[in-house]
Amino acid sequence: MQSSNPIARMIGWSDDKMRVHWRHRIILGLALLLLQGCGLLYDAVTMVHPLTQDELSAICARGRLRVGISVEPFRPFIFPAMYTDEGIRVTGLDIELIREVADALTVHCGKQTPIIPTLHVTRFPDLFIKMNEGQLDLFVSSVSGTVPGTRPTGLWFSLPYFYRDGVAAIIQKPEVAERVWQQLQKQNGKLDTLAAVREGFAGLTVAVQKGRSSQLYAEANLKEVRLVICDSLPASIEAKDLNIDVILTNQSILEYVTKRVWQDWRLLTQLDGTPMSLTHEDLSIVTSDDHRRLQWLLNNLLFRLEESNRLKQMRWRWVDAHYAPTRRATSEGLPLEITQVPQHYDQGQCRLAERQ
Amino acid sequence: MIALSNGLRLFGLILPFLCPQIGWTENLHKEHEHTAQLLTNLLNAGRVVVEQNQTLINDPSRGDKEFTPEVFERLLREEFFQQTHIDLKHPPSSLPSLAKELLAALLLASKEVVGDAQFVINQRGIGYKNFIPATFGSQTARKFSNRSHVTIKQTTLNPRNLKNTPDPYEEAVLNRLARQTAVTAPTVEWVDGGRLLRTVMPIYYSDDCLTCHGSPKGILDISGYPREGAQAGDLAGAISIQIPVDHR
Repeated sequence: MQSSNPIARMIGWSDDKMRVHWRHRIILGLALLLLQGCGLLYDAVTMVHPLTQDELSAICARGRLRVGISVEPFRPFIFPAMYTDEGIRVTGLDIELIREVADALTVHCGKQTPIIPTLHVTRFPDLFIKMNEGQLDLFVSSVSGTVPGTRPTGLWFSLPYFYRDGVAAIIQKPEVAERVWQQLQKQNGKLDTLAAVREGFAGLTVAVQKGRSSQLYAEANLKEVRLVICDSLPASIEAKDLNIDVILTNQSILEYVTKRVWQDWRLLTQLDGTPMSLTHEDLSIVTSDDHRRLQWLLNNLLFRLEESNRLKQMRWRWVDAHYAPTRRATSEGLPLEITQVPQHYDQGQCRLAERQ
Repeated sequence: MIALSNGLRLFGLILPFLCPQIGWTENLHKEHEHTAQLLTNLLNAGRVVVEQNQTLINDPSRGDKEFTPEVFERLLREEFFQQTHIDLKHPPSSLPSLAKELLAALLLASKEVVGDAQFVINQRGIGYKNFIPATFGSQTARKFSNRSHVTIKQTTLNPRNLKNTPDPYEEAVLNRLARQTAVTAPTVEWVDGGRLLRTVMPIYYSDDCLTCHGSPKGILDISGYPREGAQAGDLAGAISIQIPVDHR
């Protein structure tokens, strides 16, 4: 059937087809108009009531600070969870720091009611994932941002709260120390710890913890060792079948555990008896790269804690002083968010690394 | 005349209810006292179960200890049965309803405490976890007391946990008990004009307790508290219970 419309006739369309065509055009035009309207409406709403809050306002509104900590204990930073008269509590240097952060936030929020830190306990490698997914406001787990490979995109590392830490080694057999010392003696006073360790550890079994700076150090520098990767420090201590000669992790942790927990292991030292540091690391609080206002609050707090000697005092309290962690857990520990805790803490396993 | 005779008739009807009042109050008091005794037994039985499983709880080589709230409940029922010959699953009809209700609530609180502690209990690689009879007892008593008008408390003259500090009544009883030779019966008293029942059941140190509470006095124990220098049989503390006459 021929169309009455001259344009339709010209292009050979029927009236029905022409009607459908115009209907589509009108709908499209209306949709474009509405979209523009939506934009105006959205702008108006966001001007009156911002749809997204900054992170500090969100914490103030929530009244809670979501803090990630590692389920693997890093004594004296995080002690294993203890049962107390108040229920389950976690204590340690990192917990004291978290309390300071919560206090600073309470002041910032100008509230009578304090900001409560809620501890989200998770496996160490998952802390980075949870932080990136926005499930945490920050995490504290004796990590350093100055070790190559430890700064994932999107995360920010604060000013240090713990200075002069680094990777160190513990051993059981005296001959391991002798091998390293022989290498040091060959250097005739021109100290090169890395070279001595590379030679001294060659052929030995060295255990590191998954995702920690010790693993990154060993993978980058100790090509001649039999590398074992463990889920936690206790797992490296317990893995008898792998004949581990050396365990690497943070020096402050190793100093504590060799004195008070695993006394049959000892720190590898320099020739003069001082602990042998393999790297230098300063430990930081980690938060999201986008949390600019929280970053300033953290850095300002850490600056103040340092200038008032609080950081030194905290270090002394947890690293040097004699104390019972259980008692401190009762008096100053923080409760865990039980729903966030793995079913039961298992220190995990050790396995041989697949080396290239 | 009719009014007087109606009044007398009414008095006659009420009289039988008025006279047994004294007996009824006595029964109520006995019921409360019996209930207090059973609550003490049940909390104590829970402490015994924790103590009997201390080696398992502190075993660093095991992750999942299978010391679940259900297992604990079974052991607790058995221990309570040994102490009282009362099967909590099928309580005898002679058991006062008050006791039935409160024992069930205390059993639930005990189970919940063991449930809450699962994360700590099942940590592998960690030996001492401080889940001991004292911390179990404190938490259970608090949980139960928060949900009830009945108060249960573990107390002692020199408490490690200040929340367990005795009140003046408890202090007086504990001082008296400390001077006496060991007794197995609780101190039972109605105070506040007969409106509040108070019972204090002494707990004495056994050999197992002395690892932490024994000699040498002043030296820190595994949990970081100074040892008390106690000897087996010394007064350790007490389980104190308060039940108001109208507890609801």
